[in-house]
Amino acid sequence: MTVPALEADALGKRFGRRAWALRDCSFRLPAARVCAVVGSNGAGKSTLLALAAGLLAPTEGTVRVLGAHPAAARPRVGFVAQDKPLYPQLTVAETLRMGADLNPGRWDADTAHRAVAGGDLDPGRRIRALSGGQRTRVALALALGKRPELLLLDEPMADLDPLARHELMGLLMGEAAAHGTTVVMSSHVVAELEDSCDHLLLIGGGQVRLSGEIDDLLAAHTRVTAPAGADLAPHEVVESRTTGRQLSAVIRPSGPLPDDWRTHTPSLEELVLSYLRNPTAPAPAPEILEAAV
Amino acid sequence: MVDYRIDRRSGVATYVQIVQQTKQAIRLGLLAPGDKLPTAREVVEATAVNPNTVLKAYRELEREGLVEARRGLGTFVRRSLGAAPADSPLRAELEDWAARARESGLEREDVAALFTAVLETHYPERAAHAAPAHTPQGDPS
Amino acid sequence: MTAALTAPAAPAARPAGVPRQWRWLARLHRSALIGGGALVLLTAAALVWLGGPLTDASAAAWKAYDACGFTPRCSYDQSAILLYKDVYNYVTFAVLAVPFLVAAWAGGALVGRETESGTASLAWTQGVSPARWLASRLVLPAVLTVAGTGLLAALHRWAWETGRDRIDTAKFWYDAATFHANGIVPVGLALAGLAAGALAGLVLRRAMAALAAAAVAVGVLWGAVHAALPYLWPSVTRVTALDEGPLGRGLHVGEGVLTAGGGRAAAPCLTSRMQGCRDTLADMGATAFYRDLHPASHYWPLQLVATGILLAVAGLLTYAAFRVLRRTTGTTRG
Repeated sequence: MTVPALEADALGKRFGRRAWALRDCSFRLPAARVCAVVGSNGAGKSTLLALAAGLLAPTEGTVRVLGAHPAAARPRVGFVAQDKPLYPQLTVAETLRMGADLNPGRWDADTAHRAVAGGDLDPGRRIRALSGGQRTRVALALALGKRPELLLLDEPMADLDPLARHELMGLLMGEAAAHGTTVVMSSHVVAELEDSCDHLLLIGGGQVRLSGEIDDLLAAHTRVTAPAGADLAPHEVVESRTTGRQLSAVIRPSGPLPDDWRTHTPSLEELVLSYLRNPTAPAPAPEILEAAV
Repeated sequence: MVDYRIDRRSGVATYVQIVQQTKQAIRLGLLAPGDKLPTAREVVEATAVNPNTVLKAYRELEREGLVEARRGLGTFVRRSLGAAPADSPLRAELEDWAARARESGLEREDVAALFTAVLETHYPERAAHAAPAHTPQGDPS
Repeated sequence: MTAALTAPAAPAARPAGVPRQWRWLARLHRSALIGGGALVLLTAAALVWLGGPLTDASAAAWKAYDACGFTPRCSYDQSAILLYKDVYNYVTFAVLAVPFLVAAWAGGALVGRETESGTASLAWTQGVSPARWLASRLVLPAVLTVAGTGLLAALHRWAWETGRDRIDTAKFWYDAATFHANGIVPVGLALAGLAAGALAGLVLRRAMAALAAAAVAVGVLWGAVHAALPYLWPSVTRVTALDEGPLGRGLHVGEGVLTAGGGRAAAPCLTSRMQGCRDTLADMGATAFYRDLHPASHYWPLQLVATGILLAVAGLLTYAAFRVLRRTTGTTRG
């Protein structure tokens, strides 16, 4: 396999003397994946993306981007921050021209224009007069026009209506398909990422709770319905609930399950929610996921 | 040309939906041998699904011998699917069976349930599975 | 198509061009450039007016006034004298306000607004490295600041010199405001303000806070330099007889009496022509008055040392700004 797009080793970030925003994060994202960074608000998603974009220095540990130091990789990385910062005094057309001037030799005007084309945007309009969704388009256009190898998007779809969301997600997927761009996007709405992403990074309480190919993660977990009082050992239990005479649980089976248990593969949303609801649930060891491949 | 429509609520894995819809298009004659499938980029731009999902579906179709990938050109339909033409004996038998079911007083829903149950038994693709480390879609890869 | 997907992440080698950010820097701060340019031109025009027609009119009025002697009915153009004085005070104020404006703008609009709104990170992920970004935001404004402030100070000096011996109430060279506005201290102060603004913007990440901090920093710096000014160059000592009192014009450093033992003491009073004072001086064994001062010839040495200190401070602040930037973004090399 080629160089991973993103690789963190015991990565931690603390702002001043406050609590750790991110601690002891280790994971590896292969290239050409579309990775969902999922977690509740304030879980450390934005911090992780800013570290990867080389906008913040880690307090401890390391992060490598496309095999290089984040600062060295910056020219090959596109980044869209959560609040979509743009220069308010420039027009849409000027902003795109600036993108071309700031990324000489890389700029792909076609892709950039396609991102803004769907938004019914007047190129002469000033950024300060745009709606949230229109700003998102321009911000994405800047990041895409740079033709990055790694695209880091912090809550990219938050301001978009469902139609624009689908269209821009399609554009992103098209870029990924055509150029093998690795895309990392954070969201706290899992459902909107389910079809587009093939890799998951679940962040909770500043730590990596789950990391891996979504198919592998789903295959490694089972949602079971068993009679109340059933013994879940020796399987690893992520979540279990007893309602009346029935026990339902999300487990990582470590052997065959009894025949009278009903089993399902969880959906991505079910899996993510079960981990988020149970902050103390053990994270699977990487070997388990490898074995499930 | 196929126009894939992905139904997230169906519970069917996305790549399976693409495989099924491609087969359906071949069956219905919308795609004939030699026709080019849409590129992965075209599919993902229209559906916003992950590119690897489309590739997985195309690989599955290729494995089944329905399509072939020609390097640098695209993916092309290799053969038609004529498994159930209108005059096949299987269809006649099914017609016969349906008529008898109706005679014996079964409602439309009863027949559908019966058919689905038999289908599940013989084509257990989407059935719940007990083996834990088994991939949900029965993916062999 | 599918081939592109299976062999990803291999973009064609592209020429590593240098981002063209200068014109965008100018575009982003177009209104500040226009506003600042207009302010400099207006002040310059006022200085030319002051040094030309206003000085001539005021000098003529003073000539008429002085010719009057003690004649009770004297006719001279009093309004010309007052107008000169007012305009002189205003333009001196304007020249000295430039460093504050530069600092406030640098802290607020140039850097603070970008770190607050996140457009700085936008630039850093758009092909402009943080160090390049900061360098551009210091170099171009620094060049314009030196040009603008230098022009105003030079014109101020010219206007002051044209009126020096012709207008009776013209300010002395050591008058505090005139001393600074006539020289290069405003240039050093403006550069220090620019660096202070950049540093404040990077550290505080709030436009208004950085604006205020930078302006306050300029005030404190100027106050400190002004307080230290008499000691920035060796002063000369003028010794005068006890009946003369301490004498000598220039920038005062200190004065007092010399005693028979060769020591220095604070002056209890200022002339031995008065009985009480003579006795007191005799009691302390005073032999003469002295005054430490800087004559006019010390003007440029003092200006150069003061400006040198300000430039050193500006350099330190700039270094600190780059350090802060490197530490927060984790950039190892520029």
